[in-house]
Parts: sequence; structure tokens; C-alpha cells
Amino acid sequence: MTGGGANPPSGSLVGSRPLRVVIASLGNEYRRDDGAGQVVAAAVAEQVSGVNHLGPQVDPLDLLGRWDGADLAIVVDATRGQGSPGAVRVVDLIDSTESPGATSTHGISLSGVLRLARVVGRAPARVVVVGIEGQDFGKGPGLSPAVNAALAAAVCKVVELIEEARKCA
Amino acid sequence: MSHGSGERTISVEGLARVEGEGSLRVEVHDGVVGEVALEIFEPPRYFEAMLVGRNFTEAPDITSRICGICPVAYQMSACAAMEAACEVVVDERIRALRRLLYCGEWIQSHALHVYLLHAPDFLGCADAVELAERDQGAVERGLDLKRTGNLVMEIVGGRAVHPVNVRVGGFYRAPSPEAVSALAEPLFRARDQALATVEWVAGFDFPDVEADYRFVALREQDRYAIDSGRAVSSDGHDLSPAELSALVVEEHVERSTALHARLGGVDQYLTGPLARYSLNSAMLPPLAAEAAAGAGLGPVCKNPFRSIVVRAVELVFACDEALSLVENYEPPNPPAATVVPRAAIGSGATEAPRGLLFHTYEIDDAGTIRTARIVPPTSQNQLTIESDLRQVAQESLDLGDDELQWRCEQAVRNHDPCISCAAHFLDVTVESS
Repeated sequence: MTGGGANPPSGSLVGSRPLRVVIASLGNEYRRDDGAGQVVAAAVAEQVSGVNHLGPQVDPLDLLGRWDGADLAIVVDATRGQGSPGAVRVVDLIDSTESPGATSTHGISLSGVLRLARVVGRAPARVVVVGIEGQDFGKGPGLSPAVNAALAAAVCKVVELIEEARKCA
Repeated sequence: MSHGSGERTISVEGLARVEGEGSLRVEVHDGVVGEVALEIFEPPRYFEAMLVGRNFTEAPDITSRICGICPVAYQMSACAAMEAACEVVVDERIRALRRLLYCGEWIQSHALHVYLLHAPDFLGCADAVELAERDQGAVERGLDLKRTGNLVMEIVGGRAVHPVNVRVGGFYRAPSPEAVSALAEPLFRARDQALATVEWVAGFDFPDVEADYRFVALREQDRYAIDSGRAVSSDGHDLSPAELSALVVEEHVERSTALHARLGGVDQYLTGPLARYSLNSAMLPPLAAEAAAGAGLGPVCKNPFRSIVVRAVELVFACDEALSLVENYEPPNPPAATVVPRAAIGSGATEAPRGLLFHTYEIDDAGTIRTARIVPPTSQNQLTIESDLRQVAQESLDLGDDELQWRCEQAVRNHDPCISCAAHFLDVTVESS
């Protein structure tokens, strides 16, 4: 999926090519605020041209192969225990050392996927996680009022990140 | 892990990000394994409630959200159940396209499990990253295989995760012959990679363990079953999906949120690769059969640790089958059969990568779902996994604490259980006293 228009704004070239930006979300829209990332990522893809929207991901491992070659990959997700509901937090995964889930039966965490991607030479140049603190992770669709109210701020934060990266490119 | 006088307790505490949780506990008293408990949260339970009151056409899309690893399995079983209720039989072109989509899911799911989750167990690696540091080529091969599976799902299903092109009766849109033909090249490569996978895993060291399983899997008369068939068992059952649904009794166990399934309310059983292979190895096409023989598999495999070899053989099968379907592809026209609801009960069963998955729905004349029952493979396998754990632990008591814990975790991973769909990690703690 590609959002917005096809042509990125001027001043965003890496060498002679445009800055490659991908955006994805993690989470489950059927667990209330866990679906916040999907809403934010889709809104950003609508607003900002030249962003490759990978869509909602359930398994971070599916990012492998889809974010390859990106200069900037932004992953939007809900957080828990990171502040008051609706708080937006940006984490630059510069040095991920988390285990990829040695005992997992079914998948690998985002940090683990990034580590694996680096080992096999398929990591984006930069990965940033934008987290929105959730309040309700109960069963069913729909966001809590606090998270709903924070969506615009989260979208602005992601757009800022992209614009800053393009200015610096 | 805790030690008292003659006592050991292996405790694996589960943590899930949001979706659910699972944990593992094995108690040993005076050299004898006592209580074994694999506790699992199962998301299908609330999906069953969510489906009631919805339209029958919504079941494939809603149930696909139960699992990010095997959404096609949920879609296919839902479609099969609704079509059975409405007495609709889809044509061969639609069946072939469904089978191709399902092959994509088998390829991506098996590649994930074999390379990134299970192989590190056999090679003494803590995780897939350590494996990649030691053998980048192997991990690259696994990732490439997984990517090919995803590609098949994208072309046929509309996207790799939670495909959007599936509907009751068939598909919203048939992919073009050109798009499907483009899958041939990556599938050729994937088939070679799958053959290399069989050779690779066949060289692993396997504990000498065999279990007396009661296997249950779908069987078709003329091919290795994936998307349809009758449920047969190693002790003589031969059941339609509706008969299977009637025979399987699930019981709630107080210590766990998971239901435990038994045939006739009595007999525990195993579904999944070992069951499929052991009941249907004669139905494998030549290439996969030769790969199995070359890997030292007989017609039946009862060593749970060798399930990784069986998965690799099924990778060969899925790639080979997908190639055949691509080469013979004719777009179904129309892409879906017309399905008119009627008041009825319908059951559908298909083979998810990790085992038999069946759905039963009651709908009314307007197509509104009145009751829903979804029985995933892990629910069916849970009692057998616990039996495996008991046997493996008992036969491994001479191992040190860390090795014993590792072996127990490996015994769980042998069956690739869906601890909770989208629950991506299981933290382990060792308690000592």
C-alpha cells in the first residue's frame, strides 16, 4: 500500500534518490486501544506523500523483507505502563539488544526482528517506534476516549519525524 | 526451577504483550514426574461470542483475526462451514485457488517455525539471531521461503496478513493469470530451498523418544489433504466434519482458560504435521515422498522432536503443490458461488499449519449467526502436549536444571502451539528454593 501521492517533496533526496520512508503499525484492532497504531499509520499515509504504508502487522517478523532498504521505518504501536493514557512516546531503536524471544512458540518481538534484520543485512537505516499509551486493552473494537483524543497528536509527531528526516537527507 | 528434598519444579511463566498468556509447569517428586500443566489463553472463545448476531458472510473476515500466523485456515474453515450449512459446493477452479492460498500460508508458517523458532533448539542457539550469526545462509533461506509464502498470500489473498479477498463461496476477485504466473519463479526457488531444508534438518540430533499417539487428520482420497476431507484417526475413526464436531467434547479445566478437547469426551489426540504425515504419507506426491525417505522418515513418525523434519517435508509438498496449481491456473468465473442462507447447522474442517481446525455454525434464514463453535488445533493438542511433557521430563531427569528446562520447552515447541494468537513471547523464569 502506498499512501498519499507518489512524489516526495523536494529536499528529501539521499544521493540522487528520494528518501525511502515506510510506516507500519502493530496491534490488534479487536483489543480496543491496541488498534491505535493502525489508525495513526493510516492517517499519516493519507496526509504525507511518498510514504510506503505497509499496513497493520500482527507479527513483527512480517516487516522483514518489506522494510528492506528503507532510510526511515516508523512503527506505530500502543504501549502499556509508559505514562498516562494517550501519552505519545518516541523511541529510536538505535541499539536494540533485546532477545528476539528465545522461548517464543510463535513469533519474535520487534526488537528481535530488528536485531535479526541487522545480522542478515536487511535492516532499515533507522527504525523509530511511536507509542501511544493505551488505557483499555479489553476485547472488542473501538478506542478509549483518552486514546481517541490523542490520535491527532500522534499523527503530528509522526509527520514531524518524516519532515525532519527529509530535511536532513 | 525449584529443588526441595527430591523435588524439582520447572516453571515457565508466560507473559503476553496484550493478547493472552500461557505458562508451563512440571513438578517432579522423588524422581517421578507429577503434575504437568500447560496453561493457555485461547482467543477463539471470545470470537465465538462476537460472531453471534453477525451475518454469515462476515465469519471469514472476523475469524481470520484470531490468528496472524494462520488467518487463511480460519477463513477456509469458516467458508467450508457456511457453505455446508447452505448446501453449496464450489467449483474446482475456486477450490484450486483456495488450495493455492492455503499453500502460501503453509509455506510461510512452516518456514517461520522451522528456521526461526525450532531449529535454534537443535543447534544450541539461544535464538534466531544467534543462529543467523552462526549460519546466515540458513536463516536467509528460511526468510526467503517465508517471503515466497507471503507473496502467494498477497497475490491470491490481497495481502500477506489477514487476506481480504476471501468470501463465503469463493473470492471477491480472481487474480489475473499474469499475476499468478509470476509466482512460478519464486516457487521454483522455494521448492529447491525446501528440499535443502529437509536435508538440513535431517542432520540434526534428535532425542530418542517415541510416543503412542492417537493421530487425527483430514484425509482425501486422491491427495494430501489441506482444505477439505474427512477426519480420520489412527484408531479407525472416519468422520465428516459434522460428525467430528459432534464427537469432540471440550471440557473446561479450572486451572486454565483453555478448553481441553477429547474424542467422545474420553480420548486425547494429536493433530498437526505428525498426524497428517503419519495418516497420509502414502498420499504425498513423489518429490515430497522422496524427500521424506531421504530424511529417514518411515511411513509413520511418532518422535515429536522429528516434527521439524515432517514440517520440512510438508514445505516441499506445499511448494510443489503450489507450483502445480500455478501452472494449471484458470481464473474462476465468477470468482464466487452464490450462497443463499438457510436455517441450518454447518461444519467445516481444514488443516491449519499446526493442525486440524474446525468450525460449526448455526444460522437462520436471514443468514444471522445463532451459535458459533471454533475448535483450534492447540485446544485439541493440549492434553497430548502435556503427555509429551510428562514423558520427556521423566526420560530426561538426568539432565541438569537448565538442560531439563530447555528440553521441556522444546517438547512444547515440537507442536508449535498457538499459545495465543499475536502473543509473541513467553518469558521463562527459574525458581530455586
